[in-house]
Formats: sequence, C-alpha cells, structure tokens
Amino acid sequence: MTRAVHRRVFAGIGLAASVVIAALVAAPSQAAGPRDQLREKFDKALKGKTVAWSPVWMGVLESEWTRVMKDRFDDYGIKLITRDANMKSDIQLQTVSDYINEKPDVLVVQNPNVTLLAKELKRAMDAGIYVVQVNMASNTLSDAYVGVDAKDLGTKIAREVINQCGGGKGSGEIAILEGEATAAYSLDMKNGAMEVFKTDPSIKVVSSQPTSWDANKAGDITTTVLQQHPKLCGILSVWGPQTAGAAQAIKAANMGDKVKVFVASDGQPADCDLLEQGAFSANLSYRADVQGQTIADAVIALLQSGDKPGAKNVAYYTTPAWVKSKDDRMYCFSIPKDAK
Amino acid sequence: MKSLQRAWHRHSPQLFLGELLEKRWMEPIIPFTLTIAVFLAFAVMIPRYLTAGSLQELMRNFAEQGMVAVAMAFSVLSGGIDLSVGAVFAMSNFLALYLYLIVGLPLPVTIVLVILFGAAMGAINGGLIAYGKTRPFLTTLVVLIIVRAAYNKVTVAFTNELASIDSGSSTWDFMGSGRVLGIPVNMLVLMFLAVGTHFFLTRVKPGVHIMAVGSSRKAARHAGVNVKRVLFSAYVMSGSVAALAGILYAARQSSSGTDTGVGWEINALAAVVLGGISLAGGRGTIARAVMGAAIIFMLTSGMVRLGISGNLTTAIIGIILLLAVGFNVKWVKNKGKVLQKVYVTPSWVDFEPPPSVERGSGTPFAENDRLKNAEAIALNMIEGPEDVILDRKDNLYTVNRNGSIIRFLAPDYAVREEFARIGGRPLGLAFDRDQNLLVCIAGMGVYGVKPDRSVFKVTDRTTRTRTRLKDDSRLYLADDLDVAPDGNIYFSEASTRYELTDWALDGFEGRGNGRLICHDPKTGITRTVLKNLTFPNGICISHDGQSVLWASTWLCQINRYWIAGPKAGTSEVLIDNLPGYCDNINRASDGKYWLAFVGLRTPVYDLAMRNPVFRTRMVKQIPPDEWLCPGINYGCVVKFDDNGVVTESLWDPGGLSHPTITSVREHKGHLYIGGLENNRIGRIRLEGADPNWEAHVSYWGRA
Repeated sequence: MTRAVHRRVFAGIGLAASVVIAALVAAPSQAAGPRDQLREKFDKALKGKTVAWSPVWMGVLESEWTRVMKDRFDDYGIKLITRDANMKSDIQLQTVSDYINEKPDVLVVQNPNVTLLAKELKRAMDAGIYVVQVNMASNTLSDAYVGVDAKDLGTKIAREVINQCGGGKGSGEIAILEGEATAAYSLDMKNGAMEVFKTDPSIKVVSSQPTSWDANKAGDITTTVLQQHPKLCGILSVWGPQTAGAAQAIKAANMGDKVKVFVASDGQPADCDLLEQGAFSANLSYRADVQGQTIADAVIALLQSGDKPGAKNVAYYTTPAWVKSKDDRMYCFSIPKDAK
Repeated sequence: MKSLQRAWHRHSPQLFLGELLEKRWMEPIIPFTLTIAVFLAFAVMIPRYLTAGSLQELMRNFAEQGMVAVAMAFSVLSGGIDLSVGAVFAMSNFLALYLYLIVGLPLPVTIVLVILFGAAMGAINGGLIAYGKTRPFLTTLVVLIIVRAAYNKVTVAFTNELASIDSGSSTWDFMGSGRVLGIPVNMLVLMFLAVGTHFFLTRVKPGVHIMAVGSSRKAARHAGVNVKRVLFSAYVMSGSVAALAGILYAARQSSSGTDTGVGWEINALAAVVLGGISLAGGRGTIARAVMGAAIIFMLTSGMVRLGISGNLTTAIIGIILLLAVGFNVKWVKNKGKVLQKVYVTPSWVDFEPPPSVERGSGTPFAENDRLKNAEAIALNMIEGPEDVILDRKDNLYTVNRNGSIIRFLAPDYAVREEFARIGGRPLGLAFDRDQNLLVCIAGMGVYGVKPDRSVFKVTDRTTRTRTRLKDDSRLYLADDLDVAPDGNIYFSEASTRYELTDWALDGFEGRGNGRLICHDPKTGITRTVLKNLTFPNGICISHDGQSVLWASTWLCQINRYWIAGPKAGTSEVLIDNLPGYCDNINRASDGKYWLAFVGLRTPVYDLAMRNPVFRTRMVKQIPPDEWLCPGINYGCVVKFDDNGVVTESLWDPGGLSHPTITSVREHKGHLYIGGLENNRIGRIRLEGADPNWEAHVSYWGRA
C-alpha cells in the first residue's frame, strides 16, 4: 500500500469512530423520546420569565388569585411581581406604567375601570409584553381575558330575579347595587341585567347606584332605598363582600323576610356562609381559585405560543354556578390554612 | 497650645453654623433633606429607579398631586384652609372629560370653562369666607361635600358615556402623555406654575398681599390692604389651580372613578404641613408645598414598587409623616432659639493692664472735673445725640433716635427744628465740601442732606465677601464717617453680624466683624477698604489729609490707615491699650484730635475678654439682664496727637450729666459733647483754644 492509501484508511477509521462516538453521546436524549423534549421546550419557554401582576387591591379574591398563580409559577420557575394599588386608580396607573418600563414578559391586570389602563395596555403590547386581563376588562382588548362574562352573569341573575320577584310573585321593585360604575365587571353585568329587566314589565328598577365595592356604602344605600321603597322585593348586587353591608342593612330594618338578595360573586367562603345564614337568597358563584388556575394557564399558553403580543385576543370565560343552599358549598372555595 | 486655642476661637465653626442657621433658606431644610433622602433611599432600594423611563413616570404621576398641594398652599398661606381642592379637582377631571370627549367642545374652550369652574368654586369659598366671614374649615368642608356629592351624581349619570370614551385628539394625548425635552407635559406645567406662583407671592403686589394678610390680618388692614378682596382672590387662585390639575389628570387618565380625588385634600394638607408651611398662615413658600407633596408621593409610589401591601404602605406613610411633621414643627418653632444659642461666638482678646485713670495718678488719663460743669444745650429736646456737628453759621446739628436730624439755631441754640427726617438710627455726621451734611444711618447706609434740606442716598451697599455665607453686601451698621480732601467718603461699619441694638453682643464676641469702607462720589463706587476690624467706630481724616484715623472700640485702639503719601494703602496701630472704649474721633484746633470714650475698661471685663468659653456660657446660660456689661457709666474724653500720644483728658466723674460719650466736636473755642443715650448736648469753654477755629475751615478752607 502506498502512503496515500494508508492515510485514507486512517482517515476513514477516524471518521467512523467519531460518528460512533457522536451517536453514543446523543443516544440518551434520543432514547428519552418526545415527552422529554416537550418538557424541555416548556422549560425553555417558561424558566426565568417574569410576570407582573397589578390587582386593584389585595382583597380575598385577589389574594386567592395571587396564591394560586404563585404556586404554579414557582413550580415552573417563573417570577411573579405583585404591587398592590390598594383601590387607588392613580397608583394603579402608575404601577402599570412602571411595569411597562421594567419590561416583564407578561403583564396581568385587573382593571379598576374600562378606560384607565386602556392606553397603557396597548403600549405594553407594543412594547412586546403579553397582556392578560383578569375578571375586570378594559376597553382595550389584549392577548387574553380570564374571568366571567359579566354581561352573561347579569342576564342569568336577572332571570333569577324575575323568577322570584316578577310576574306578581313580588312587588317587582328591584334595587341594583353596582360596584365601581365604570368597572367592566359592574357595568356589563348591570347592562346585561337591565336588558333582561326591560323585557319584563312587572319589574321596576327603583335604584341603581355604585358602592365602590364598599360594604359600608352599600349598607347606607340600602338603608335609604328601603326607606324610600318599603315594598322593595329584591336587591341585585354585583359582588359578595359589598352585599354583606346591604344584608346587614336589611336585617337592621327588619325586612329580612321581605327583601331577597341576589348576588354574583367570586366564591369566597363568606359568600356561602352568608347564604347559609339566609342573608343572601341566591348567589351566582364562580370560584376565584379556579380562575387563578386559568390565569396561570393563560400565561403559560402565551409564553409558549410564540405569538407576537397583541396578535390574538383569546378569552377564557369562567363558568358560574348557582349557590342556593348548603349543598352547593363546592361552588365556594376554601382558603388553605397555611396561605398568607 | 494657646495659639491653637486662639486660632480655634478666631475661626470657630460655630461662626459658620450661626450664619448658616440665619439663612432664610435654612427654614425648609428638613423637608428639603427629607426629599433628597427619600429619593436616594428608593434609588438604592429599587433597581432601575434612576433610569430615564422611571424618572419620567415619577414626574408624570407626581405633577397633579403637586398642583393640588400648590392650590392648598394658596389658601393656607392666606391664613385659611381649602378642603374643597380634592373635590374641585375631581369635578374638573370629570368636566374636562365630559366637555371635551363627550360633548365635543374644542379643547381650548374646554380648558377655559373648566378653569372657570374651579375659579367659581374658589369664588364661593372665598366669597363666603371673606365677605360672609364664615370659617374657612367649615366653609370649604361644606363645599367639599357638595361638590363631591355632585361629582358622584354626574359620574353615575354618565356611566356609559364615561365607559365608552376613547382617547381624543393628538393634542389631548400630548397633554396627557407627551414630553418636551424628556420632561412630561404635566410636570412642565407644574414647574411653570410653581415658579410663576412663587414669583406672584413674593414679587407681585396682589400675591404679596396674600402673604401679608396671612401673616397678620390686622397689620395688613392697617397697611391699607383690602383684606377681603385678597382673601377672596386666594381662594379663587386655589380653585383655579385645582381645576388645572383636574384637566391634566383627565388627559392622562381618561377616567373618572369614584376614587378620583378622594382624600387628595388630606394629602395636600399633609404636604403643606410637611413642607413646613405654617397653618397659621403667612409663612412658607410654594416650593415647600411642592417638596412636601414630593415626599408623600415618593413614599407612596416607592413602597408600592417595593411590593409592600397597600394597608401597610398607608400605615408606614402615616407614621413617617407624623414624625416628620412633628420634627419639622419643632424645628420651625425652635430654629430661632437654636440660632440664638449658637450665633454669638466669642473670640479671645488679650489685654495688658491699662494706664491708670485714678485721680492724681499723674497719667494724662487721671480723673478730673473738667466736664462737670458743662452747660446743657437742648436739654430734654433731644434723644440720643450720638454725634454733633456745627456748620459755618454756627448752627448745631445732631441726630435723634427717631431717625431725624435736628438743628438748633445759633447763637443760643434755643430754637429746635427738624432739619431732615431720614429714618433708621442716624449716627455719625460730617460735612462735605459743598456743605452737604452726610450721615451714617444704622440699618440703612450712608445718606446726605443738602443745604436745602433735601435728602439723598450716598450708598447702602459695598462689595460682598465671596468667602462668606452671610450676604454682607448690604450695610448693616454704618457708624461714623469723614470726608477726605479728594471728596472720598470713608466710613466705618461697626459690625456685619449685629444690629445697633445688639452692640453689646458684638462686644462679647470681640471679633473682627466690622469694616472700613470708602465711597467715591465721583464714580458712585463703594468698596471695602479694610475688613475683619473689631468694631471700627470713630473715623477722622488726619490734619494733613494723608490718613484715616479709625477707632476700634472693643480693642481700645486708635489705628491709622494711609490714603496718601509713601505709605498709602497700609495701616498701623497708632495707640494701643487705651483705658477706655473708643468712639468718635474729631479734629482739635491745636492740630491734635479729640476722642470720646464710650465707656471705661474694668479688670473684670478685661478678664472675661481673655476667656471666650466663659463668655459663651454667659450668653447661653443666663438671661441678658444679668450679663456682664462694659462699664459705660462714665464720662470721659481725651486728646491725642499725630504721634499717638495722649495729652490730656476731660472727665465728668460718675457720668452724672454725660455718661456714654460718643462724640466731641470743637468749634470756636468750645467743646460740644454728644452721647448715645443722652438727653442733652454738653458745651464747655476750652481755655486757650483758638476762639476762631472751626472744623469746616480746617477741612475745606474759608468759603
């Protein structure tokens, strides 16, 4: 053999050896198959990402959302930043503006009203941040909405009101307790209810006032309404905690057996307690813990989607269920003892 | 060691501290420091706090709160309070949204209408408070409640419209989120507003009147200020500024919620108090209100950014505000006391034992009775003739405590007339070549009176010492003067640290607080010739016209400063260690000089001057009426010559008729004696003196 041939043979052996070695090295991943690749892709999309969360305040509902989100995100290695605006809209606007400057990967907001954050949410998406809106939407549509279909909730609860107060079963006089008048949740629910009430001439809405989510204010309004309309049949309230004040006012006026309280709420334990005590007549409940899971799901989906922020508008509507007796307790969530 | 101690007392840091505390800008030092501290603290704690984006957000979010604080400041400075600012702000926010975005009025019209609304609310407040004499607190509280209730009604009535508003024109967006040179528009508006209102309140008459009415309504009324109109205008301003804030807020937020403006009046009030603006009115600045608001805003937003829960944030801010306000109130209240305690900074002065003044001791200072039988002129017709002077027609001029120059007509000086009224406390007198009577006036400067009695200002300021914190360009305590042959006016400023009434405190310091100043009437330029002189008092141009003699009261020295000849520009001590505290110096007919002793040295006081620590303790620890005081209950004048030799003295033992002599003037064989606190002018005949000699001729020759 000539030298040249020798060299070629050696080169051939060398090549074969390196191919074998490469195959050996690559073997474990190939051997694990597609399921591990999925997890790898998942981790790659999620690990080290930041989610900025701006609730209206840290109430029972928001705390539950936060708790569930944090559990999930911790598990996936996502960082969650929370800043409490404590019911001050100017602070919340500021918070969201600050968030945009800090460039998180996902922005989760609960809008105090439909206009306040409208411009900022658009700006956030333009800046490449996914925006998820929770339960209280804005005039600006974003990547995802997680929460109730407030208008549908209003329609359903209004039908129940008509069932119990309309058509001669009661005086037909109804008072509506709104939350924050321009908050999507309150505004849409009220509008949904009004559309239904308009179809039934036996129903007369005698009052519709915002309570700013405040039980004391709801109590004051209810007291006044009861004095002005002693024949009142029902109160439609958009949210549980504020309704506690209204129920108290009804009790104080000794009209507990005459006035029925219809409420839509987020399933916090106190809502079911009040219903079981007879303070509420019917509670259209959605569970905050379930919503918390859905928010986390929406965030995870966005992070894995590869879409450009603002490209799509996906909705995850929560399905509510009626709580009318002790047996419906499962539609309220319970707060784990070790939750802070 | 001693020299070290001396140096310490000479350049005491206390001196700096005292003058620092005296600065008016030291009053808001607490809010100012706190603003910086809070900012720096968050800059350290919050990552990326100092990035351009973050700073812009801070400014953008702060502006309206700053404006509402300014609105509140207007009412508080006028001596009242405007609790309705938060509600007016919220209503203006709604009105701006409604008129512009729902009704569709043009933007300028909207802005004008909304500001008019704010002014109208202010007019209701101001009208009730100023003309109806209602209490500001209750009045504005009622307006707050009414406007707030109206706000709640209209926002409910227009819920659907408000919920569906979309951002308006690009101008509107620019107002809300635009920037100029990187600064948000609303912040620019706040800056212009703050500077403008500051200028208004400090430089423009109606604004100054607001401050005046706030300080003292009664005094303002007596000064001819229309108190009612001023109060009314303060509330109108307050309402208008709150409305302006509402417009900018509307452009930025595009929403009108139930929480809009809620509690803002409390924040604004807290800002005003935190800024150190007195709730009693009249004291404070717009800048302080803005600082107070900035502190509150930064605390709130910073803690939110740190992720602290809302309730805790509120509690922490409450505690910080309570502490800061408490501390600040104490500071504002006690700053004067602290200043009083640290301001007086005694220095170290060593004295040799002086020549004896004992009767029969044989020294030229030996006590005698030569002034005892001085004839009293103008008895009880004059108060405090610190200096006396006679003109070519022998009329006698003197200064009076009330700020006027009094003339007693020759030959018997029985007729008293007010020659001129200038004000301040006139002290040293001198005639210039044109027979203008020049006078040093404590607190004002140097003035002159022409023979036709018209008053003119010679000078009231000199060059400022650049290395000194205190602005010493204004003349504090011009004391005595004389006119050099070239017409230049040399005058002493006894102290740049104390006013005339506090001369004794300057004595306790024994420090070089004074200056020799020269004013050139030809160019109008005033310049400091010598500084750091220890209470320079009497000034006299020597007979040859080549030097200025000046007396240092607390060092008991006569000094000579050469203004002509080979030694021009240098100075020397002519006589040291005199037994008395020197005052005015004037020419004598025999080529010598008369010197008045305002008081005599005592061993005890000399000892005290050697011990600055003792004097500091004295000033700090015992009441003024128990302080050691230089002995001024003597009457003594001496004569010295150009060689610094004292040749004779004239005494009024015990100072029965002439204590505290500050001036001796020779005229036609007589000596005229004036005293700082006296009720007369003394005159004695001088044996052997030239009966035709008069100072004016000595200076300027025969007319």
